Amino acid sequence: MSLPIRMRALNHNFVNHRVKPALKEINLQIEAGQFVALVGPSGCGKSTLLRLTAGLLNPSQGEIHLGTLTPAQAVSQQRLAWMAQSPALLPWLTVEANVALPQRFNHRALTQRLSPQEALERVGLLDAAREYPRTLSGGMQQRLALARTLTQDYDVWLMDEPYAALDELTRAHLSSEILQHWEPIRPTVVWVTHHLYEAVHLADRVLVMSPAPGQIILDVDVNLPRPRREDSSEFQAVVAQLRQALQQGEAAG
Amino acid sequence: MNGERQTSSTMIAAAILLFFFIVWELAVFSSGIQPYLLPSPSHILKTLFANPELYVRATWFTLGEALAGLTLGVLAGVLLASLLSLAPRLEGGVMTLAILIKSTPMVAVAPLLTLWLGFGVLPKIIITALLTFFPVLVNMLSGLHSTDAALVDLFRSWHTGRWETYFHLRLPYALPYLFAALKISAPLALIGAVVAEWTGASGGLGRTMWLAYTNLNLPYLFAAIFILAAAGMLAYWGLAGLEQRCVFWKGTSQDEF
Repeated sequence: MSLPIRMRALNHNFVNHRVKPALKEINLQIEAGQFVALVGPSGCGKSTLLRLTAGLLNPSQGEIHLGTLTPAQAVSQQRLAWMAQSPALLPWLTVEANVALPQRFNHRALTQRLSPQEALERVGLLDAAREYPRTLSGGMQQRLALARTLTQDYDVWLMDEPYAALDELTRAHLSSEILQHWEPIRPTVVWVTHHLYEAVHLADRVLVMSPAPGQIILDVDVNLPRPRREDSSEFQAVVAQLRQALQQGEAAG
Repeated sequence: MNGERQTSSTMIAAAILLFFFIVWELAVFSSGIQPYLLPSPSHILKTLFANPELYVRATWFTLGEALAGLTLGVLAGVLLASLLSLAPRLEGGVMTLAILIKSTPMVAVAPLLTLWLGFGVLPKIIITALLTFFPVLVNMLSGLHSTDAALVDLFRSWHTGRWETYFHLRLPYALPYLFAALKISAPLALIGAVVAEWTGASGGLGRTMWLAYTNLNLPYLFAAIFILAAAGMLAYWGLAGLEQRCVFWKGTSQDEF
């Protein structure tokens, strides 16, 4: 069962030798089962917002809830999957063993779970199952990390730039695979990206963040039927709207 | 290609070694220097092979001590580093103590231990363990701390227990560091055993060296040095080979493409 995400008066500062505000007054309600893309310039706090939601950081102020759970509770009940910005693979395990690793630590009985082989097949890495990560290209490592996240099959997916090292064609192929996997089970997704087309292609809703300290400056529902055609005028109109918001944010910052 | 490169580098090393011994031999021969000051390599080897039983027995004795001490030191280092990584609050105190042990000159401690514990193997094992423990502790600890931060976060997001994270993530990550430490500690173990024997022992290469030294019988002394050097080198090679098998995943990516 997927979970809604609610953030209230969320502020976060990084404290090194001085206080550096990273996120400012985030108020956000994400419905259960909604696919939300989060776009914004580099360093605006997208990853931080994701890490706060994943319980990897504690907010300086404000609160986050996933349903009735705090992020820490959601983690301990294994309700959320977080995908790091780097592939974060274990070099001494084969591709197959890397994908299977989260299931080893899984204490919940999951019904919709993808087997490691199925997950590898979805990202097109089944042929490389017995290889070691270092023999894979950057893009393949990223796909492997994605497959590993898919096997977790949790209620909330927090994805930090899963397409960072991928080429255009692979992105398109993976997007259709991911939507196919997502649609029937409908976990809540927060998908961080730099790529506006990717955001509009995938998401039900796109949030645009300002440069640091990150604030949400635009919140757009994407009411286009799937599969979406990037050359349609409606699609282009949403992209244009997002781009304008980004540019304005940049100018104001 | 890798095998070929290895063979040619072994050949070069052997050639350099051979060259060194030839120069040594010729220098001794042409200068007429006396064997009680510097014996020639051929003289040393002759001495070595004229007394096989003596040297074999002494070598086993010393190697046994070194190995026992090394095992003890490595176990203590690995266990303590693991404990500190699981309970980081202890680190400050324990490391202070470890540095204190490290800074104590073992050459001064060895005679004391011999005085207290006698001429048997126990003081040698203790000295060797004390000497080898520190590199293992320090390297292992940096290894356990070196784990990729993204992976640590990932394991947290999987809600793994402390031990699961230790065994599946931190320990394998620390393996290359452990091998680096072992390659330092294994030759050090030989030195530890010999230095301890030097302060009084019932057998071993250190004792052989000590007796030879007091009689100015330098060919005997050098024969023992040759054995020690060879043993240290073999230990190093053995560990390097083992490392390649255990840390196979650490190779450069260029090897594969």
